[in-house]
Parts: sequence; structure tokens; C-alpha cells
Amino acid sequence: MIHLNNVSYTYEKGGGVSNINMSIADDEYAFLIGPTGSGKTTLLRLIYMDLLPQVGNVVIDKYDSTNIKQKRIALLRRKVGMIFQDYHLLDDRNLFNNIALPLHVIGYDKEEIVDLVAEALEEVGLDGKEDHFPNELSGGEQQRACVARAMIKGPDIILADEPTGNLDPVTSFELIKLLEEVNKEGTAILMASHNYNLIKGRGHRIIEIQDGTVRRS
Amino acid sequence: MDKFIFLLSEGIKNLWRNKLTSFSAIFSIFLTLVIAGSLVIISQNTNKVIEYLRDKYKIEVFFKDNVPIQKVEVVVASFNQIKGVRSTTLITKNDAEKIFKSQFGEDIMNLVGYNPLPVSCVVNIVKDDINKINIIPIVNKLKSYVEVGEVNYQGRIIFQIESYYQKFIRIMSLILVTVIFITIFTISNTVRLTIYSREKLIESLQLIGATRAFIKAPFIIEGILHGFIGTILASALLVGGLIFGNDIIISLFSVKIEYDIKLLILLLGGISFFVSIIGGSRAVSKFLK
Repeated sequence: MIHLNNVSYTYEKGGGVSNINMSIADDEYAFLIGPTGSGKTTLLRLIYMDLLPQVGNVVIDKYDSTNIKQKRIALLRRKVGMIFQDYHLLDDRNLFNNIALPLHVIGYDKEEIVDLVAEALEEVGLDGKEDHFPNELSGGEQQRACVARAMIKGPDIILADEPTGNLDPVTSFELIKLLEEVNKEGTAILMASHNYNLIKGRGHRIIEIQDGTVRRS
Repeated sequence: MDKFIFLLSEGIKNLWRNKLTSFSAIFSIFLTLVIAGSLVIISQNTNKVIEYLRDKYKIEVFFKDNVPIQKVEVVVASFNQIKGVRSTTLITKNDAEKIFKSQFGEDIMNLVGYNPLPVSCVVNIVKDDINKINIIPIVNKLKSYVEVGEVNYQGRIIFQIESYYQKFIRIMSLILVTVIFITIFTISNTVRLTIYSREKLIESLQLIGATRAFIKAPFIIEGILHGFIGTILASALLVGGLIFGNDIIISLFSVKIEYDIKLLILLLGGISFFVSIIGGSRAVSKFLK
């Protein structure tokens, strides 16, 4: 489903990734592990095409990074859910409006949006909190809200960039289990983390990245 | 349809979410429109004055004595074809005699025993041309007729009036264009400030697959609303000021300031729509990757 073919990207001030070859299959749950600055975030940005490879190409379904237009990138991102360490929730909107935003972008009807948001909130255990604003929620709740926002549009894959970075160990495990539930429903997950203890022994594929290159895949 | 309603409601909500920047943008538009509206009203009334003055522009053409009246009539009719001529009035010898009597109270026939006054014609010049009226080519054309003996006109005064009028139009246009550009720039920067405060929203929208048009739409709608509110406020101030001002002016000078309320509101609405869309769109475009 996702193919990175000989992908390299170097920032102006150095760092990045080089000569990455890897694939993520449909329905796969994979961890991207490596120390801070190893290139995990760069790799994820290349997958959701926030960065375009300087060498090689990224292919996701029918979207190829080679000469891709901005509008096609927007369409690709409707098939990709994203979760970040710092949540990226909008402080001036309640939970309902935060989670409903991707559906407005796609163009769902109001009734469908109400039903889907209620369903998503229930799935992540936040039902009844739709009127709460992000600053009224705990870190774990905010991250579960991000999962709801990422999965609500039924993406092919969810990319999670250090989603447990701001969470305590118990909440972190809960989040990983929540993503496993999402994965069981058919969404591929690629989760970046620098915490090996958190992900070991869960039976998922581990892709190790160091100094911008894949060491183990 | 739901998408459009969402974008519209986002635009409206943004007005409230960004009260300070909304106020700045509305105030900028309001000021521009008050200045632009004032310029338009001044221009409209200056046009009335210039039309009044141009109405006084006259070229007097005196025909040679030996030209038969039938020929004069043909020549006068041909004067109407000259570019810049509005109308002509033929003054026969009999007409001239009557004018002499009404002006001097004496019958010229009694004074000199015959009528020495020549057949003449008053040539009136167009008065509603925005361009400078150059009377010299008209005079030269009139002089080129062999039947014409003498041409009298107020060359210097007409030249001065026309020069001042053209300077006035140029200055007014320059002020208007400058004000519009300053407003676009101000609105653009105001919206950019708003955008910096909503950087997170734009980034989130980009990450969840919003197109550029989708991201821009609420900002443009917000800009149009700024323009709409600015237009209402500026129109209210200008029309209110004109009604109140006219009451005073009429009582003092027996004249009033002329204005076309529909044209004024339409023009202000047009300017605000233009500056809001350009200003808002320019700001978001600069920010979007």
C-alpha cells in the first residue's frame, strides 16, 4: 500500500533521511523506532507528502510523489489520518467541532457528521464530552480525541508521530491498545516512537531508523 | 451545500473569534470608503460646476457681408458636425438689430441709416466631456471657412478653466487609487496578523486534506463581511452627513450638494468588495505552502 523507493531527503541545515526502501501493507500495524533526530518525523512527513523526496519516490495507493500537484496531495491526506505528540487540536473549538473538521473538508452532510462524531467519540471512550474544549481535557483524553479525529474519515492508514510523548506509561499503553482496536477494523497504523520499552513484545513489525537510514525493517 | 454552509458559518464565526483584527479591518475599509465617497461626491458636484462654466463657453462667428443668407445657413449647419460643438445659433442681421436695441436701447437704423451689423453665429461647446476641451482646433476649423470673416472667443479663460479641471481630475484619481492601494495593503496585513494567530487551524486543515480553496474561503468570506459592514457604516455616515449638511447649506446659500445615493452605495460596495477580496486572498495565498 505504501512504498518508499530509494527515498532521500536532506534539510538545508543537514539531517533527514537517505536511501529509504520500505513498504507498509494494508491492515499492518508497524512501529517506527529510533532515537530523537534519527529521521522518524521526516519519514512520516514524506509519507503524508508534507515533504517531497529529493531522490526516489513515495507511492501511496494511486498517489505517486513524483510531480504530484498540491490538490492531489490534499486528496491523498483524506486517506491518511495523523496523530501528533502535541495533539494539534484547535483550542477555540469544542471536541465535536475538532473531530468533525475532516468530515467538513470531505463534504459530509450535517446529519452524517453528527452520527459519525458520536460513533467516534464512543469508540475512543469520550462520549458525553463533545462540548468540552481541549483545555478542559487531560493529555490522554486529548490524544484519544486525536485518534477519533484521525479515524473518523475512515482512512487507509494512520500515521502517529510520537503520540505517547506527552503521556504517562499507563495512558501510553491505553493509546497503543486503542490504535490496535482501530487496526483490527482494517486501518493500517504506522506509529513512530523513541520508547522501545513501550512497543516491544506486542507482536507488531518494528522498523528501526538511525541517522536517517533504516537499520531493521 | 453543507460544505458551503460550513464555510459561510466559519467566515461569520471568525468575525467574532478575531474581534480586534475584524475591528481593524472594518475600520480601514470604513475610512477608505468615507474618503472615496467624499471624493465621488466632490467630483459629482465639480462636474456640475464645470458643466455650468462650459455652458458659458461661446464662440462668436461673424460672416463676411457678401455671403448670402442661404449659404450662411448651410455653413452653420456644417458647424454642428465639428467635433466638440454642441449646438449653433444663427443670428441674422434682423436678429442682430433686435439684440442691439435690447442691449443699447437705440435703433441702429435711426443711428446710422442702415444696418451695419454682420450675420453671425454663436457656437456652443460640449459641456459633459470628462476630457479637456481644446477650443483651438474648433476655432481653426471655423476660421478655415471662406465665408467666415471673424471669430471671437474667450481663449485664455477657457484654457485656464480646462487646465484646472484636468488637474483636479488627475489629483482626485491619484488620491483614490492611493487610498485603495493603502487599504488593500492594510487589510492584507491585518488578515495576515489574523492568519498568524490561526496558523494552527490552517496547518490542521492542510493535514486533514483541505484544498487551498477550502482554506481560503472562510478568510475571503470574512473579508467580504468586513467590507459589507464597512460599507454600511460609511454609507450611513456619508448619507447622514449629506442630509444634515444640505439642510445647513440650503439655508445659508440656497444651493445644495448633489449626490446619487444608489450610485454612491453601489460604488462604495464595489470598492469594499474589491479591496476585501484582494486583501484577504493576497494574505492567505502568501501563507499557504
